Amino acid sequence: MKKHKHYSKMKILLLLIFAPAILLAQETITGKVVIEGTGQGAAFMNVVEEGTNNGTSSDIDGNFSITVNKLPVKLRVFALGFAEKTVPVSTAGDITVQVKESTESLEEVVVTGLATSVKRSNAANAVASISSEDLAGLTPPQTLDGALAGKFAGALITKSSGAPGGGISVKLRGVTSVNGNSQPLYIVDGVYVNNSSISGAGLNAVSGAATGGNASNQDNPSNRIADINPDDIESVEVLKGASAAAIYGARAAAGVIIITTKKGQKGKTRVSFSQDMGFNTILNYRGQRNFTEARAEGLGAGQGAAFLAARAAGKLVDYEKEIYGEKGFISNTSVNVSGGSENTSFYTAFSNNEEDGIVRNTGYDRKSIRFNLDHTFFDRRAKLSLSTNYIDSKSDRGFFNNDNTGTTIGVALTSTPPWADLFPDANGAYPDNPFGSSNPLQTRDQITNREDVNRFIVGANLDLKLYEADKSDLKLILGGGVDYYELLTTAFFPKTLQFQKISNTGLNGLSALGTTENKDANYSAFLVHNFTTNKDLNFRSQAGLTKQTFYRNTVRNIATDLIAFETNLDQGANISVTQFRQEQEDFGFFVQEELNYQDKIIATIGVRGDKSSNNGDANEFFYYPKASAAVNLHSFDFWKIPVMNQFKIRAAYGEAGNFAPNGALFTTYTNSLIDGIAGIVVPLTLGNPDITPEKQKELEVGFDAGFFNSRVNLEFSYYNKNVDDLILQANIEPSSGFTSRFTNAGNLENRGIEIGLNADVFKEENFNWNTGLLFFKNTSEVTKLEVDPFNLGGFGTGLGTFRIEEGKSVTQIVGNNANGDLVVLGNSEPDFQVTWSNNLRYKDFTFSFLWHWKQGGDNINLTNLLTDFGGVSPDYDDISDDPAGVTPNGPYRIGAFRAGNATPFVEDASYLRLREVGLYYTLPTKFLDQVFRGYVSNFKIGFSGSNLVNIFDYNSYDPEVSNFGSNGLSTGVEVTPFPSSKRYLFHLAVGF
Amino acid sequence: MKIIKIFLITILSSTMLLSCDVEDGKDLNGPSTESISSGLSRGELRETIGGILSDMRIQLGTQIDAQSVAGREYWRVSSSDPRWVADLLTGTLDNNTFYTTNPYAARYATIKNINLALEGLANTTEAFSAEEIAGIRGFANTIKAHELLMVLNQQYQNGIRVDVSNPDKLGPFLNYQDSLSAIFSLLTDAAADLSNAGSEFAFVLPSGFSITSDPASFLGFTNGLAARVEVYRGNYSSAKTLLENSFMDNNVGADLQKGVYFSFSLTGADIANPLFFGLNATVANVRLAHPSFVADAEAGDTRLGKVVFRETKNNDTGVLEPNPLVIKDENIGDLVGEHDVFIYKSNIDPVPVMKNEELILLYAEANHISDPVAAVAAIDVVRTAAGLPAYTGSTTPTDLVNEILKQKRYSLFAEGGHRWIDLRRFNKLGELPIDRTGDGTFEQFPTPANENK
Repeated sequence: MKKHKHYSKMKILLLLIFAPAILLAQETITGKVVIEGTGQGAAFMNVVEEGTNNGTSSDIDGNFSITVNKLPVKLRVFALGFAEKTVPVSTAGDITVQVKESTESLEEVVVTGLATSVKRSNAANAVASISSEDLAGLTPPQTLDGALAGKFAGALITKSSGAPGGGISVKLRGVTSVNGNSQPLYIVDGVYVNNSSISGAGLNAVSGAATGGNASNQDNPSNRIADINPDDIESVEVLKGASAAAIYGARAAAGVIIITTKKGQKGKTRVSFSQDMGFNTILNYRGQRNFTEARAEGLGAGQGAAFLAARAAGKLVDYEKEIYGEKGFISNTSVNVSGGSENTSFYTAFSNNEEDGIVRNTGYDRKSIRFNLDHTFFDRRAKLSLSTNYIDSKSDRGFFNNDNTGTTIGVALTSTPPWADLFPDANGAYPDNPFGSSNPLQTRDQITNREDVNRFIVGANLDLKLYEADKSDLKLILGGGVDYYELLTTAFFPKTLQFQKISNTGLNGLSALGTTENKDANYSAFLVHNFTTNKDLNFRSQAGLTKQTFYRNTVRNIATDLIAFETNLDQGANISVTQFRQEQEDFGFFVQEELNYQDKIIATIGVRGDKSSNNGDANEFFYYPKASAAVNLHSFDFWKIPVMNQFKIRAAYGEAGNFAPNGALFTTYTNSLIDGIAGIVVPLTLGNPDITPEKQKELEVGFDAGFFNSRVNLEFSYYNKNVDDLILQANIEPSSGFTSRFTNAGNLENRGIEIGLNADVFKEENFNWNTGLLFFKNTSEVTKLEVDPFNLGGFGTGLGTFRIEEGKSVTQIVGNNANGDLVVLGNSEPDFQVTWSNNLRYKDFTFSFLWHWKQGGDNINLTNLLTDFGGVSPDYDDISDDPAGVTPNGPYRIGAFRAGNATPFVEDASYLRLREVGLYYTLPTKFLDQVFRGYVSNFKIGFSGSNLVNIFDYNSYDPEVSNFGSNGLSTGVEVTPFPSSKRYLFHLAVGF
Repeated sequence: MKIIKIFLITILSSTMLLSCDVEDGKDLNGPSTESISSGLSRGELRETIGGILSDMRIQLGTQIDAQSVAGREYWRVSSSDPRWVADLLTGTLDNNTFYTTNPYAARYATIKNINLALEGLANTTEAFSAEEIAGIRGFANTIKAHELLMVLNQQYQNGIRVDVSNPDKLGPFLNYQDSLSAIFSLLTDAAADLSNAGSEFAFVLPSGFSITSDPASFLGFTNGLAARVEVYRGNYSSAKTLLENSFMDNNVGADLQKGVYFSFSLTGADIANPLFFGLNATVANVRLAHPSFVADAEAGDTRLGKVVFRETKNNDTGVLEPNPLVIKDENIGDLVGEHDVFIYKSNIDPVPVMKNEELILLYAEANHISDPVAAVAAIDVVRTAAGLPAYTGSTTPTDLVNEILKQKRYSLFAEGGHRWIDLRRFNKLGELPIDRTGDGTFEQFPTPANENK
């Protein structure tokens, strides 16, 4: 139990100012506030004379003294974490006030409407909540979305690559859309926060990744939620499906992640400082092929001799270690100041996070400044909250993933044997790599691929009580927010690079600059009416309007044939520009009625209506209803099971939508140029002016049970969600002139269960052990498909691909087998996931760890095949893949590839991972008081790490990978990614 | 309090009414296809034609590479897409893989551009003269015929769809002969239009079309294409007439390279020549001349200059050393490439659509039965230009065909997959060299899976 300190200087000041005026008749009450049961003094309790502003607070031992005008009075004693108590005092002198620690007043609330929330014990949905301690307390995460992994049930969170600065896919309760957005909506302090992944300019001009078997650019940009500093977050609520997220209507089908940032507390101004230092290293090396002269000769005539010569000279180089072997330095610095007076509280934070990658010249740097202000006025009937955040983030992401030009560092390594000599000479000139079209060391040292973000997120909320009576009240709640950022993407490939040299068909240097301006704004106005009948039946009604606008403008410039080593765009002979703009306006309303009968039965019914310029008919409303009920059986008189102190059954139904991707309405010509003649050419995809949003319908049922006075809690949920009118970018006969068309042409279903068990195993004064176990699984099915089955998200049936097919799992991976038949080879959906979190405290030590076991779920691993072609696969000469046990893996996989057999490329991606572990020591208060004389209230040191133990069979760096970035189905395809890393950190935190 | 409540509700509901109307979403990033098909304006004509010409080049590299590999003109090697040296050499092709799907879709995209332009022309309210309309139509149908022929060259006996103007109701697949007939009739219509198109086009053409910049000279290209179709169909006498009315110049010493070309540049949205790689490229991306190209050449053939012996300077000795590229495969055998294909000297060199040298050899074929003397004369124009002595062999049709195929092989090397198409016409694909165990040839590319044929 945390003690929150409340102390009001302001009140003392007021007291001092007005004291002379009331000197005539005053009585002093002294006393001590003690905690019921233990008898310990309760520090920093507020003690106020009821009906006045006269007040004080207890000292560290619980003692207080208050002077009042006359007796008798009533004293109100309160603080967060304790049940409020009012004691009548009729005589001056010593009194003892007993206060009770309260779980109720600390109990978290979960959102149920756009303007309301309820106590968790009354919620009808399994809304996951993650506290700041769970989110970032174990070990500081690099990004917010990455920190969610393993912390709640029902999510599949995949990091696309190990490149610093994010690129994470969050899928809540299965895949909810095939071609539309499948990433949740993020809301920070009421502001709709943009989470786009915007491709940097220019990488494709070099990699040509989109020109081959898959039109995706495979640039792997970071997603913009990475900008939010996890350290600023007080709590995260996850609405996993439509049953809870219907309140957000047309944008909520993929779930909603609601983030609340930290606020100041009334009382003494608190300053805290923390510093983390550490490093990261590659999680797992793929390893090197064990070369012999004969094997080396297999790479080409004369290579055997070259291998022997290099070995004799001690010049064999492990290029994997050379590139990925760096220890990236990590430093997180954070300072925050918070506090507040009676009516105003504030929280300010500054943080600087720096993290180098495991590849030289890669890294992530984020500076964030936050200022949150809360002010109450009009006799506490109005409350204004302001949340502001400025972020400057920069990530250097290197050059990885698939290409068609042999230029990315990852692809170059696949054909580079250890005897290649790629190091620069004395003049710093890099030799050309005779084994590929790029020298990976040179590429690493000379290129730039940077994302630079300047971002403001500002939100304000005004909560005004218009009317208040005994049994009813009416509130007006106005909210608004803006998320504005400018993203600069810079790519620079100097002319000295092997693949930029004119003699090697290069472009003689490429400089690319992309600028994106993004502005999302949202506004809302709500009225909330509360009415309680004489029989304790509470009605809460709300109605309101919402409006969102979205604006994005991306301009990409690419200059090639550069003058010297200049990077300015005007220093190139050839300059090309592309621009992409997007504007959208949504408008909606929401009405809801909540009924609460004595906290025993809680029922809600509501509907949201949304229209949008992104629909075929901009003024057609789409309606998203919801209804839910929770019954707290334990609160009824008939409940007679003492060991089971809580038993709630709940059911919730809701609908939510998902917009068609931008531009789906239109068939827009793209521009072309030939010999100075501008032209217009048809796009690949045929638009559909009649497209409607996808509609998700989710039913969730479950129960929450508490045992032994809630020392053991069990939560069970089953859900079934159907997505109708699935928006498909379905294949169309290519002779139509298009390769795909947008259409509403299918339904899919996700079913799953989520079980959470939490127990305070030990709860002694010196030893606490809290443990939590989550189990969750999801299965999906395409229940209806009105177009022909189609493949997507891979490189064809010879290498394994996803396939949308009626009656089959949405995430099935198909491919040709050895007989050339198209068969199911796997499924990217895990069979189940289990996480196990533990918090142990012994005296002043805390030890926490989180295990994450993902069972099943397959990847398409093409890195192996590429290294087979280069003859450098670590398992090239092992015999394990061939069912006949004859052919070594390398030739076997190449043979399978030649025969169009995709079987060896689909691999089980199960893992067991120690995601987070942390050990902390908090210096005892007594010691601090002696040493720092009260100036330091808190001093904590510790060590932590993430991904320190990883157990998997998967034949590459990490089973958590995605060549195609975060959106859509095709996570789990691997083509020479930036390898994942593990992190080791040391922490120091001081509170003043 | 009640008054405040009513007041606020009034404000709220009026806000609702005011902001209730959402404007329809706009297409911010380009014109819609509707804007052209519903009526072509003079202002839009230029970019419509520009788009068609630009789109003709999309996936050209893939198509020419795939057909050239099929005809064993060269090996295309790409370390990031090994299917170049797998499927395309084994002949086990997939119907959902880039070598068939990409060129197919790209050609039909160009046809879509043309169909939208033709629809727009039919619906136009612009004051185009009858001659201008005929010129636009004649040009558009010629290019459409060219694109359909490109598809048909890959699809062969699978046949193709010719009527593709309505995406919701595509026309049937026509068999090979019927497809050729349909293409030929498009070209006949185009020729008729071009004859009535006055003295100039209402649009500009890129520099690659400089010899066909007005309707009269463009007709020479239309007829050349029609002649190609007729030769493919074996209609030699019709071909002869068409060739005589094409831009063919079969005088000794004529410029054999004269022709219609795809232009390339690096400016803005323009694209680079996809068939250019520098010398001594690595396995990452290279075109290696098939060894038989050098081995089978007559001594002194200057067309051997289209390939370059791979060599690099030894940094230690300063001596030039051979630099062959070996595609190893322990199971089936290696591919050893000693020569780079080097037709284009830079990434902005133009690529021929059709050139005089082909027309002369089509003329030779058109005459090889009816007028062997004229056929040999045409062959000799090409031989002389290549530095070879006049043809002295037998003039039986069989021998002349062999000679013509050989000259086409060297004259049109790596320019369009002609060898594969020509050998196929004469049932001679079996003569192609097979380099590794399990390799084989194939007659046609599979119809893309998504065609749902």
